[in-house]
Amino acid sequence: MFDYFKTLETLTSDERDIHALVREFVDAEIIPNVQGWWDEGTLPRALISRMGELGLLGSTTPEQYGGAGVSSTAYGLICYELERGDSGVRSSASVQGSLVMYPIYAYGSEAQKQKYLPELASGSLVGCFGLTESDGGSDPAAMRTRAVRDGDGYVLNGSKMWITNSPIADIAVVWAKLETDGVDVIRGFIVPRDAAGFSTPKLTHKMSLRASVTGEIVLEDVRVGADALLPGSGGLKSPLGCLTQARYGIAWGAIGALEAVYTGSLEYTKTRTTFGKPIASRQLVQDKLTWMATQHTLGLLMARQLGLHKDAGTMHYAQVSMAKRNNVRVALQGARLARELHGGNGITTEYPIIRHMLNLETVDTYEGTHDIHTLIVGRDLTGLNALE
Amino acid sequence: MKIMCLIRQVPDAEARVKTANGTVDLQGSSMALDGMDEYGVEQALRMSEGGAGTVAVAVGPQRFEDAIRRTLAMGLERAIHIETDLVLDVVTTSRLLKAIALEEQPDLIFVGGQHADTDSQAMGAALSEALGWNLVTWTTELTLEGQHVTAVHDVDDGKETVELELPCVVTTQQGLNEPRYPTLPNIMKSKKKELLKKSLNDYGISSTMVRVVNQEIQQRARLQHIIDGKDAAAAAEQLIVLLHTEAKVI
Ligand SMILES: Cc1cc2nc3c(=O)[nH]c(=O)nc-3n(C[C@H](O)[C@H](O)[C@H](O)COP(=O)(O)OP(=O)(O)OC[C@H]3O[C@@H](n4cnc5c(N)ncnc54)[C@H](O)[C@@H]3O)c2cc1C
Repeated sequence: MFDYFKTLETLTSDERDIHALVREFVDAEIIPNVQGWWDEGTLPRALISRMGELGLLGSTTPEQYGGAGVSSTAYGLICYELERGDSGVRSSASVQGSLVMYPIYAYGSEAQKQKYLPELASGSLVGCFGLTESDGGSDPAAMRTRAVRDGDGYVLNGSKMWITNSPIADIAVVWAKLETDGVDVIRGFIVPRDAAGFSTPKLTHKMSLRASVTGEIVLEDVRVGADALLPGSGGLKSPLGCLTQARYGIAWGAIGALEAVYTGSLEYTKTRTTFGKPIASRQLVQDKLTWMATQHTLGLLMARQLGLHKDAGTMHYAQVSMAKRNNVRVALQGARLARELHGGNGITTEYPIIRHMLNLETVDTYEGTHDIHTLIVGRDLTGLNALE
Repeated sequence: MKIMCLIRQVPDAEARVKTANGTVDLQGSSMALDGMDEYGVEQALRMSEGGAGTVAVAVGPQRFEDAIRRTLAMGLERAIHIETDLVLDVVTTSRLLKAIALEEQPDLIFVGGQHADTDSQAMGAALSEALGWNLVTWTTELTLEGQHVTAVHDVDDGKETVELELPCVVTTQQGLNEPRYPTLPNIMKSKKKELLKKSLNDYGISSTMVRVVNQEIQQRARLQHIIDGKDAAAAAEQLIVLLHTEAKVI
């Protein structure tokens, strides 16, 4: 691993071992195959099972629910390595762990936890998270999807857009407004694939995150039982709580992608020769490499410190916003520099650079756009709200 | 069924090693469980029930602990580490391992077919000799039936299938199996598994019969002899002469 400040040495031995394992797995099973998946626009279902088998899905979940009970720092390292392979592969794991297993664990009943968590952890079930709707993903409180009480259950109507894994999901955690004492309250529901009126059209024409399946969720009079409601959910803070988990992982993951484009560029520029010298011997090239290496180091240190806070229970969501915002943007800028350093070879998917670069465009937008995070941090710093 | 797996830590196949002052300097090189030993660990896990009755045994410096932990994370039940900085010769090591085997009473001992670093293949044979147990080398298939095992192993011109009575020593070869990765839950559990530390003194060993005097990295010097190919027939003739008289390969 590119680790200029020897950050790995500050980890616990469990964390180091987990990191080493995931790195080995990514080198052996993801990197050699992911370009093919990306070109085809697919993610093999079997990969999710494989990640489950190794314990990479929802790994912080306690053992009693089928998880590995690892630290949040270890979870961050998993995201780092998966995204060093591909942002889409990391996204699938993030969705399963942080956006599906986490809300069931945090807001679910004991019965829901026992029913779903072990199978999600093993990858025998795939989940997806439906929050965004077609108009204005940045403003989820404006959602139109509704749940209405019907006998002892609920009827859901609405549609969700840009949902990672929805076309292959067995269950969806869907966020909808439910009128309670005359007020609309956002609640989470676990909707099984076989519910009548539930469909998940696949989104095509994506030029980013192609090794990840994205779709809609369409809910037409979908009737679910009372046991579909996540009893502990209530208000926008519930889905936002999930997003904080996922964004935390992205803060690590993006730096993994930055490692991939940096090390790729280092190798490339040392062997590419023009005018009789390797291009890495030129000051203009070294400037770019130094920038990438420095941003990688800063981003990794920020993720590491964020992990310490998360494990200690002292992490604040604005810190997560700062780390997501910064680390994804530097990774994206690093990928663009890497693209430039690779010349024409940076244009073809025969090299991993353009894949990472295009993927990171999504990562910069989803889970709160760069600018939305600017406003979250700005609000925290100034106490003045520019967001609403 | 009790199974002992002899394991070592070696420089990672991808690692760049350097020499300094006549020894290989491993500072900063990444190290790994020897791949040949990994086949033995995997086979032990397949032949036991969830690793029950399995033990990893390692003789080497403190850093071997990482490789030992890996075998525990793969699923072996416990481990014994005879910690020493001495580089032991094979015969002394086999005396030491014999003492451990007599304590542990395994039915099967797996030994890597060949050391990834030194290329030595002697360990399995030396241990079977010390114990007076059966030995099968270069094993690519192994099945247990009652008190004996059937093993397929590579010979020069093909394969041979042999039957051995237990207890026996089995050395591994690529193809025996596909070693698993440790899983996250197993990594977490491995930290609570028993790792018994011992010293050479515990077995009355204080010296080795072989001393490493010098180590250097093999240099592949090329002659850079280029034959002018403008006249193809003459060039071919010249090549034949060179291959015959200089390279002595034809
Ligand atoms: C590949 C992919 C996978 C995804 N997976 C999921 C998923 O699994 N589940 C899910 O629920 N969602 C998912 N999303 C949706 C994602 O979270 C949204 O795209 C994102 O929140 C932005 O919403 P939007 O696209 O509607 O853009 P908009 O909200 O319309 O934003 C457009 C632009 O306006 C800016 N903007 C918006 N509001 C303000 C403001 N107040 N002040 C200043 N600027 C503002 C934004 O920063 C952005 O630049 C995914 C998206 C993609 C592309």
